Amino acid sequence: MGSLDAIIRQLRWAAARARAARYAVHALVGAVGWVAVILIIARLTPIERWAEVAAIGIPLALAVAALAWLFRRPSAAVLMRLADFRLGLKERLSTAWERRTESGPMYDAQRHDALQQAAAARLATAFPVRVNRGEASLVAVLAIFSLALALLPNPMDQVLAQRQADRTSQARAAKAVQDAQKKIADSAKPTPIDPQVQKILQDAQAKIGQADSPRKALESITPAEQQLQRLPDPGTPALSSSAQNLANALSATSAGRSAAQAISSSPAQGAQSVRDLASQLQSLSPKDQQELAKALAKASQQAQNSQMRDSLSKASSSLQSGDTASAAQALDGVASQLDSLQQQENTDQAVASAINGLEAARQELAAQADRDAKGQGGQPTATASGSPGASPGAGTSPGASGSGNANGNGNGNGNGNGNGNGNGNGNGTGTGTGTGNGAGGSGGSGGTGSNGSGSGSGSGAASTERVYVPGQPVPGQSQNDPTPLGPGENVPLSPYSQVIQAYQQAALDATDKSLIPGSERDLVRQYFSQLGEQSGAAPK
Amino acid sequence: MIAEEPRVDATRVTELAQSLESELARLIVGQKALVRDTVISLIANGHVLLEGVPGLGKTVLVRSLGQALSMSFSRIQFTPDLMPADIVGTNIIGDEDGRRQFRYQAGPIFANLVLADEINRATPKTQSALLEAMQERTVTVGTQTRPLPSPFFVLATQNPIELEGTYPLPEAQLDRFFFKVLVPFPSEHDLLEIARRTTGESTPQLKPVADAETVLAAQRVAREVPIAEHVLLYAARLIGATHPDRTDIESVRRYVRWGASPRGLQTLVLAGKVRALLEGRFNVAFDDLSAVAQPALRHRIFLQFEAEADGISTDRLISDILEHTVKEAAKA
Repeated sequence: MGSLDAIIRQLRWAAARARAARYAVHALVGAVGWVAVILIIARLTPIERWAEVAAIGIPLALAVAALAWLFRRPSAAVLMRLADFRLGLKERLSTAWERRTESGPMYDAQRHDALQQAAAARLATAFPVRVNRGEASLVAVLAIFSLALALLPNPMDQVLAQRQADRTSQARAAKAVQDAQKKIADSAKPTPIDPQVQKILQDAQAKIGQADSPRKALESITPAEQQLQRLPDPGTPALSSSAQNLANALSATSAGRSAAQAISSSPAQGAQSVRDLASQLQSLSPKDQQELAKALAKASQQAQNSQMRDSLSKASSSLQSGDTASAAQALDGVASQLDSLQQQENTDQAVASAINGLEAARQELAAQADRDAKGQGGQPTATASGSPGASPGAGTSPGASGSGNANGNGNGNGNGNGNGNGNGNGNGTGTGTGTGNGAGGSGGSGGTGSNGSGSGSGSGAASTERVYVPGQPVPGQSQNDPTPLGPGENVPLSPYSQVIQAYQQAALDATDKSLIPGSERDLVRQYFSQLGEQSGAAPK
Repeated sequence: MIAEEPRVDATRVTELAQSLESELARLIVGQKALVRDTVISLIANGHVLLEGVPGLGKTVLVRSLGQALSMSFSRIQFTPDLMPADIVGTNIIGDEDGRRQFRYQAGPIFANLVLADEINRATPKTQSALLEAMQERTVTVGTQTRPLPSPFFVLATQNPIELEGTYPLPEAQLDRFFFKVLVPFPSEHDLLEIARRTTGESTPQLKPVADAETVLAAQRVAREVPIAEHVLLYAARLIGATHPDRTDIESVRRYVRWGASPRGLQTLVLAGKVRALLEGRFNVAFDDLSAVAQPALRHRIFLQFEAEADGISTDRLISDILEHTVKEAAKA
């Protein structure tokens, strides 16, 4: 019995060693096969981090082989049978092991015979450490094949690079939206709609980040912009126009000149100045009162906002009748309207900032989408970038654009176009005394495009220059009526900042509906994006 | 199975068999397989059917065996007119103490070694007289059953070529034979040796190497040889493989009508045990079963007519079976 146990121990050790070698080769076959399969699949379909996936197979195969080695150990009876079979022991060991508990002369003789034969045999040779040639060859072939696959260029690398560029682009776009959120949150002039704007931007940022591709991400921007554009009060242009007309009217009076300047500077300052004027009404001379009443009447007539018109009308009539208290009360109403206007302009500015953020994201995504369409998505260095225009109108290739912005004391709006294909736009508002002192717009940013560069500059509006833009239909005016164009004393004028959004929307709608190259669409977006930002910044 | 302890040591059986083979080899030239199979059958307590053309030494073998074992030997020449009573004996009238009465006159079957020469020449009725003797080792005459001497060993011979006027042994009787041994024609070298030994001045005389008691003890020892389960399973698979409806071996399915009976399995295992002892081993090996498969099974497998038409022998089919039957150790 003891000797049989010793034999079993020897056989177990030898078998474990032999099986370890065999399973190691199995594991190698599995691992190299896994790597080869991954490499083949990586050439058929893009697999990110294929190297890691392939590398996982090696420890996995080794673990599986180790587990199989551990749990598929042959029993003692099987070891004995195999030893009999391989050492030519004529079933002596297996019979002795099977009948190890039996006693009797024959069993003793058999056991003795088996032990004697086993002692003469080299038991370990029953389980030689041998590597299957076929498997070893297979490992070698698979290894060479895998190495070749790993070294040869993989057509899927370009696809993966494109995906990476897409993700980077989406991340940049999301960052641009996030920056817009931060800018609005950090604004010194919070507005009631800020939470809504933040929510819209947050949703847009999430959609951009989660989109499958830049093109899909682009689809989430327009709805966000449309939501943002619905936020401003539609009555703001009329109120703004009324305030401007009031400033124009007051500027002709000695008592209201400072108020006119304040209104032109900002509605908030104008409101304070109008309140000051209201508190000083009693101290005004009758002549000044009459002059002020006429100016207020004129402004009332030109006002498009009904409340503003009523307040101005009441102030004018009260002042004409010498009821300075009522006039002061009415002017306080005008001041409230100006405060409201300031609030609305702040809102517009927040919306414009948000739209700018979205447009920056759109530009980033559109550029990447274009590169994807051209098959250059995997070249991160191929991004187009603009540079600030260095020379006025020096653009020499299509697609260049530039814009300028100026904020001066000149009265009126200014527009400047660069030469060639460069486009510059300057904008200036202010009050003046008739002699122009408006500052010229600064050079616009450089054009974008894949095959050219451009620059533009805009010159600021001179105080004597009057540039008209189509006005919004006045209340009661039919939408079908032709929009008044050109200079004219009675043509309702709309401030640039009030119409830019509608223009932008119309242009974007047109680009969406037309077969316009992506780069050209970008130009349109960029143009309006910059205009929108300037419109928000101009009143400052 | 065995109620009493063996009287001789297992190694003694090996020595007995080896000395018996050596002694027979003095007279029987070549034919080692024939001698080996005969000795195996003797120690396994089975009967042997020898098949071969006349003049190959079948009768000499049996007679020599009788001399080497110092046991009683009788020879019965089977002829068409041989009656059962000529074999088993009969009651005859005789004088005993002045009175005439029936007394039993034992037939030639009452011997340790019986040579049933040309057994297929006797009628089936006479052949069947051997049935009880071979299986039960008793003879019933009238109403009285008499035991045969022990050991009782029948060696029957038949000539495969002179088939006219013969009665082929029925399957039931064939199954009673432990082995069917084919006696091959001697090689040229053996023929020369036969000529030298049998045409000289003297013929070698055999000396007894064992008696009946020793043979009986050896028979008991042989049954004690252990056989491992997987080896036993192999034997059962061999038997199963001889059945056309229980095997996937194409030749068996095509040519075999009936496969071996369970008695075939008993024969395989028992013969394997004896062969193991003769090989100086005390356990049955796969090789033992393979070695005894041909003589143990060739008369237990019955072929279709198609096999005869295609010249397929049972030996060929047994070779196929041995080749295709899986040994458990190899599979593990």
